[in-house]
Amino acid sequence: MIQFINTILIGFTSGAIYALMAMAIVLVWRSTRVINFAQAGLALASAYIGYQVVQSISNYWVALIIAMFAGAALSALIEIAFMRLLLKHTSSGPIASVAPIIATLGLLGIIKAGIAMIWGGQYVVVKPPLSNTGFSIGTHTLVFSPMKLAIVISVASLVLVFSLIFQKTNIGLALRASAFAPEIARLAGVKVDLVRTLGWALSGAAGAVAGLLLTSNGNGSFSPESMEFSLLLISGFIAAVIGGLESLVGAVIGGLVLGLVTSFVLMYISGSLFFIAPFVVLLIVLFIRPQGIIGVKVGRRA
Amino acid sequence: MTRMKRRALISATAVLAVAALTAATVPAQAAEVGVTNSTITLGMTLPMTGTASPGYNKIPGAMKAYFDYLNANGGVNGRSINLKVEDDQYVPTQAVAKTNKLLLQDKVMALIAPLGTANNKAVAASVNPARRGVPVLFVNTGFSGFADTKKYPTTYAILPSYVMEAKIMAQYIKDNFAGKTIGLVYQDDDFGTDALKGFTQAGVTFAAKIPYASGSQSAATAAGWVTKLSAAKCDVVILFGVSSATAAGLGTAAALKYAPQWILGSVGGDATTIKAAGVPAGVLYNAVGASFAPATTDMTDEYVKLFSDIYAKAVPGSAFDNNVLIGMNTAFVAAQALKAAGTNPTRASLLAAIDAKGASFASAALLPLNYSKTSHVGYNGYWFGKYSPTGDLKPVDGKYVLYTTDSGSGAVVKSTWTRPAMPAKGLPQ
Amino acid sequence: MHKLSNKKRLGIFLLLGVAIYFLSGAVDELRVYQGASVAVFVLGISSIILLTGYSGQVSLGQGALLGVGGYAAALMRIHYNAPIWLCFSAAIIVAAMAGGLLGLAAARLSGPYLAGTTLALAVGLPSIANQFAFLGGEQGLLFDVGFPPLSLGKDFTQYKWFFWIASLATLIAIFWLQNVMRSRYGRSWKAVRGNDVAAELAGINLTRNKTLAFTLSAGLAGLSGALLAMTIGTVSPSAFPLSLSFSLLTGAVLSGVTTLGGVMIGAVTLVAIPEIAGAVASRFSSSEAVTNNLPGLLVSTLLILTVLFVPNGPVEQLRTRREHRVNK
Repeated sequence: MIQFINTILIGFTSGAIYALMAMAIVLVWRSTRVINFAQAGLALASAYIGYQVVQSISNYWVALIIAMFAGAALSALIEIAFMRLLLKHTSSGPIASVAPIIATLGLLGIIKAGIAMIWGGQYVVVKPPLSNTGFSIGTHTLVFSPMKLAIVISVASLVLVFSLIFQKTNIGLALRASAFAPEIARLAGVKVDLVRTLGWALSGAAGAVAGLLLTSNGNGSFSPESMEFSLLLISGFIAAVIGGLESLVGAVIGGLVLGLVTSFVLMYISGSLFFIAPFVVLLIVLFIRPQGIIGVKVGRRA
Repeated sequence: MTRMKRRALISATAVLAVAALTAATVPAQAAEVGVTNSTITLGMTLPMTGTASPGYNKIPGAMKAYFDYLNANGGVNGRSINLKVEDDQYVPTQAVAKTNKLLLQDKVMALIAPLGTANNKAVAASVNPARRGVPVLFVNTGFSGFADTKKYPTTYAILPSYVMEAKIMAQYIKDNFAGKTIGLVYQDDDFGTDALKGFTQAGVTFAAKIPYASGSQSAATAAGWVTKLSAAKCDVVILFGVSSATAAGLGTAAALKYAPQWILGSVGGDATTIKAAGVPAGVLYNAVGASFAPATTDMTDEYVKLFSDIYAKAVPGSAFDNNVLIGMNTAFVAAQALKAAGTNPTRASLLAAIDAKGASFASAALLPLNYSKTSHVGYNGYWFGKYSPTGDLKPVDGKYVLYTTDSGSGAVVKSTWTRPAMPAKGLPQ
Repeated sequence: MHKLSNKKRLGIFLLLGVAIYFLSGAVDELRVYQGASVAVFVLGISSIILLTGYSGQVSLGQGALLGVGGYAAALMRIHYNAPIWLCFSAAIIVAAMAGGLLGLAAARLSGPYLAGTTLALAVGLPSIANQFAFLGGEQGLLFDVGFPPLSLGKDFTQYKWFFWIASLATLIAIFWLQNVMRSRYGRSWKAVRGNDVAAELAGINLTRNKTLAFTLSAGLAGLSGALLAMTIGTVSPSAFPLSLSFSLLTGAVLSGVTTLGGVMIGAVTLVAIPEIAGAVASRFSSSEAVTNNLPGLLVSTLLILTVLFVPNGPVEQLRTRREHRVNK
């Protein structure tokens, strides 16, 4: 029984972090129709900025907030200085589908190389601010600790804030309008460029928080080559696709499904299936619903 | 920048470029590739970037630190040793391409410490150093196959194999933890499955046997391991993975208040690396660890003392860990091999020298090298120790007890060998 | 090139073959080896151009299909001691079958969903090798095509032999691919790419079309994988990492995804870049952290400059510029 509960808790915490990354990916997708592979680099860069802040003022929560704003700023900068130009040059033909992928992969390479040049190739540590010691029930220890609780609360509040922004303001609508029909949106008075930049900034913030929380879910160590950051991107992307790419709720569901299924597969089938499980989950979901769980079936464009 | 300065800079660059080009095209003075009257050039491939690189990317710096020290002290018979390093990102295709570059363009005399089983297999199959007569000194992998002198006649293993380690660990468990419930966490590639073979051969049965895919180790996956291990009520747990897996496993277990007797494999048992990954030293306390080299923190050991001094001067601020110690030791052994190859060393004389005298080379390890005409096995054993409260691996009761064995069905025996004193100043004699 | 008759094109390919033959005698062993790697990349990149440039589908998992081909070839060699050409055929067929299955799924998926699925495949497939003993685990399997025949002379190196085999296989495959692209299928892919609704109204079966493109593309990728396995003498999971899929995509963009004409540019760049970057890096004798990461930085920068300024590749760029001038 305790094994079963722990499996759920493990999957739930990982899933929450994947969900945040998936949200970051969905935000960029909704605003510019781009899958941003540089997101892993942004998360890593934000984590390093967080590390630098912790070094000087040794307050994790301040560092987390600064990293969040830094992530937002970096992401917005990329959109303004780079993506606008790119999307103008590659708006049609087969290249339109690959250029953003290639370009953001290139950015990822530059960010990673830059980080390695500045901070070196070895581990740095941002000590988790709260205890990772699990709560106890009787003689059993749960895989759930004050730190993990803080992670889940942080993710939940970000999801809540973002959903509010989308529901109470017209930003969500403006984002979709700017991506789907920029000309019409412009005519309707939407500041398309500004809205797109905002989408990227929100995404950068979500990715930055996901990055730092990911390290705090463990011992707090990371390096420019940390596998965990590449995996965070891949898992986030897969979660976003499972959820349906268009919806924030979908991203959260996708993240939790991926986290939970992976956790159960590793616990009850085999630890060797870590990299295969997401592929199978994705295939099953897309076989039943090719547009993802909450995805909207794209209308034919004649 | 003034005009004069710029012109000076341009001409200086031009001179440098020409010098570099001529240096590259002038044929070697001596008879052998990669050997001139004043230099010997060696080449290595390993992951310097990419997910496999952290830790290993310190090895070239460590080897260069020793070679620079050696060169400053007269080199090998008056020749200084030059090390060319190529990044293979742990991809076999890159390893082959970069090895070809080292041999065909940079014209190195020998390859040294190339890393990774799959990479070395690809290099052996494609580049075929054996057919070219190129020595492959001291491959950095625990796959036992490379010691096979028929298949890889110019290749020398140096690390004890994973099979040896598992067999010896099994013996240690029988001697110390008979009747306990034992669990195992292992990487599911050859590294772990070789070990599993060794454990099975020695007749160890596991209450929980948990594989993990290489690259999947994290706090989240480790929480799964710990849950399974404690459900199976394991009192003794072997962690046979890389150091990031050890760090994740130990850190998570401590958080979940699960405290079995840990036994750490040598690859993932380097305390300096584990601590750098954010694990407090106290968590390591009392775990059993295996090594064939002295503990890197043991400053009473003459090799550790000398090597750490050299390294601190060459690469200030970088921690002296197992990768550094093994790297410098490999460089030291290579220097002796080159010295033994004669005043005009050739590839053939280098191979002959290791076959003839390799068994008597000095090294920091607490075991002898086993090189001969018929054996390219390097070290063949381990000692066990316990981690101190500060996380240093120390032999139990202060005395190194060494076990040796082979990669086949041979028995595990206690070794009585004692390491001879270090040659003066740690230079080849 | 489009106006040439089949006979003339065959002539051009034969001439190319002769040129390659003489080239292989004129350059040193390292260049010959790199030539074989170029051939591997030419095929891998062509498989992406066929898929993305012609049928408008994006695959981030092409490296995994190369892996399928490599393993198929190696298993044929090890278990049946099959001649080389049969190993290569098996690689093509098995990879094409895998691609066909993937294509069936792909036809249902739109852009990013397909990208996600193929990415997950590229991440997951290599780890399967550790699950089945017959795939040889992490260290993989040997793939030995044997020494060059003695009749070629004593000094005929192994790498020259690889280069000949790879060049021949590539020339044949590319010639065939050009014919396919000029056929009914090629035209209908272009139609689908331009406007799928109109194409469907014109009686083109979209699903069959897309699946066929995926199948043929996978076949090319399989051959590329088998050649890659030949050049490194082995197949192992780490030889087909996610970064290989990304490299091929990069090569396709450098070549220009809409035309086969520039495929050499991408392939040569992929092979030459590490060497050039390494040479540049070694000129700066600064800290190790900089030297190690400079190649990665240079490649990434080149990539970004290319998509920004020559997004359709140099060949297409030249053509548009020429047409521009003519129109004036």
